Amino acid sequence: MLRIEHLVKKYEDFTLDCSMEVRPGCVTGLIGQNGAGKSTTFKAILGLIHRDGGKVEAFGKDVEEFTVKDKQKLGVVLSDSGFSGYLNIHDIIPVLANLYGTFDKDFFMKQVQRFGLPTDKKIKEFSTGMKAKLKVLAAISHRAKLLILDEPTVGLDVVARDELLELLRDFMEAEEDRSILISSHISGDLESLCDDLYMVHEGKIILHEDTDVLLSDYALLKVNSSQYEKLDKQYILRHKKESFGYTCLTNQKRYYLENYPQTVIEKGSVDEVIAMMIRGEA
Amino acid sequence: MKGLLIKDIKLMLNQKKFFITIGFIALMLVSVVKDTSFIISYITFIGALFTLSTINYDEYDNGNAFLFSLPVTRSGYVAEKYGFGLMMGGSCWLFSLLIAIVSGEVRKTAAAWDILLTAIEIFPVILILLAMMIPFQLKFGGEKGRIAAIAVVGAVFVVCIIVGKAADIMEIDLIDLLNRMPKLGWEAIVGLTMAAAAALLLLSASISVAIMKKKEF
Repeated sequence: MLRIEHLVKKYEDFTLDCSMEVRPGCVTGLIGQNGAGKSTTFKAILGLIHRDGGKVEAFGKDVEEFTVKDKQKLGVVLSDSGFSGYLNIHDIIPVLANLYGTFDKDFFMKQVQRFGLPTDKKIKEFSTGMKAKLKVLAAISHRAKLLILDEPTVGLDVVARDELLELLRDFMEAEEDRSILISSHISGDLESLCDDLYMVHEGKIILHEDTDVLLSDYALLKVNSSQYEKLDKQYILRHKKESFGYTCLTNQKRYYLENYPQTVIEKGSVDEVIAMMIRGEA
Repeated sequence: MKGLLIKDIKLMLNQKKFFITIGFIALMLVSVVKDTSFIISYITFIGALFTLSTINYDEYDNGNAFLFSLPVTRSGYVAEKYGFGLMMGGSCWLFSLLIAIVSGEVRKTAAAWDILLTAIEIFPVILILLAMMIPFQLKFGGEKGRIAAIAVVGAVFVVCIIVGKAADIMEIDLIDLLNRMPKLGWEAIVGLTMAAAAALLLLSASISVAIMKKKEF
């Protein structure tokens, strides 16, 4: 569905070099700190910036050669950009209907009502949460094949976030070959939605794993200095010095559970894996 | 492109204050100013240049990033902006022509035919201004774009003054030179100006496409 091979984008103080893939029927998450390269990757996929090297293909075609028809197969949410604040929802309906031949007005209006969005209020007067909801609704209302969602749940409360995630699950269930690439700083969103996760740090992909594997096989070992000395380190991905000794990140929890029964082994959440991958030493 | 046009029309319709002001100024001009060419050029100019405001609206709050993630190509965007400018310029030209004719008839200041001829002379000039200003707005955006466009108009004046001075120094009588040129009829002059405006618009649009293709959002 989407394939990125050594996408290179150079800025004065930052270089992105990223490879990743979003498979048909899958939800892929992109995680990383602010400034890690998530938005740059999204912008390169959407042709909003010119790349310095590499390939970005969606639906088997280079995104730089995308026509209007190709772009109609995408649904996009950007964290820092949206419809002009001087328009209201009534205004954007005919705009969307004319941009997307498959725009489903009834579905869109139903969701607008469900989320209690005012139709005649200027978007610039919307709350952050209302803007976020509108962006997602606009992205999923024209039967897109691929959703590119950069921080779609930002500014939403827990209930609204769950409702939006439910909408995304419904979107995936409606057709088999649909896909989503999503970034979020709320790891809970990604844990419950994504099939696989990529972690980007300082412009490079430092981890790619199926979410199930990450949640079941990744773990944090809390060991003191002598335990650390004796530890078999072949499945330790990162370690970090702590006041009590060391915290170690492994992707073979079972191995350490079986061979080091005395060791404190905690299930790794996405947040903890991110923190260890970034702050720990290899 | 239709979707973008609808967006700009909606943006325009939301600027009620802008249109009330234009309508008020038009009424003031019609009732005070006798010079119909000023009324027509002023209203047409304001209308055509509303396309520059829509470029500003698009850029506001990083809106272009989202806009270009929609099914919109960069050349399609440029085509829409010129199309919108022509549409707005054209309708404002027609509107101002009508009120100028009505005013001329009521106040007995000018004949409808003379007003129409004046309006036909003005239209290509407005198009030339539009052709000059859009690329600057796209390149520099907002305030900087306007300053750059004004600077260019200023530069054109400076060049004219320099040519005049140089002609004085070289003792060339420019007026005499113009008078000695083959005489052209009104139709030919208007036709040439229209052709020049169309050519300039095409050149300007191709420059604008090149500017947009280079842009990153």
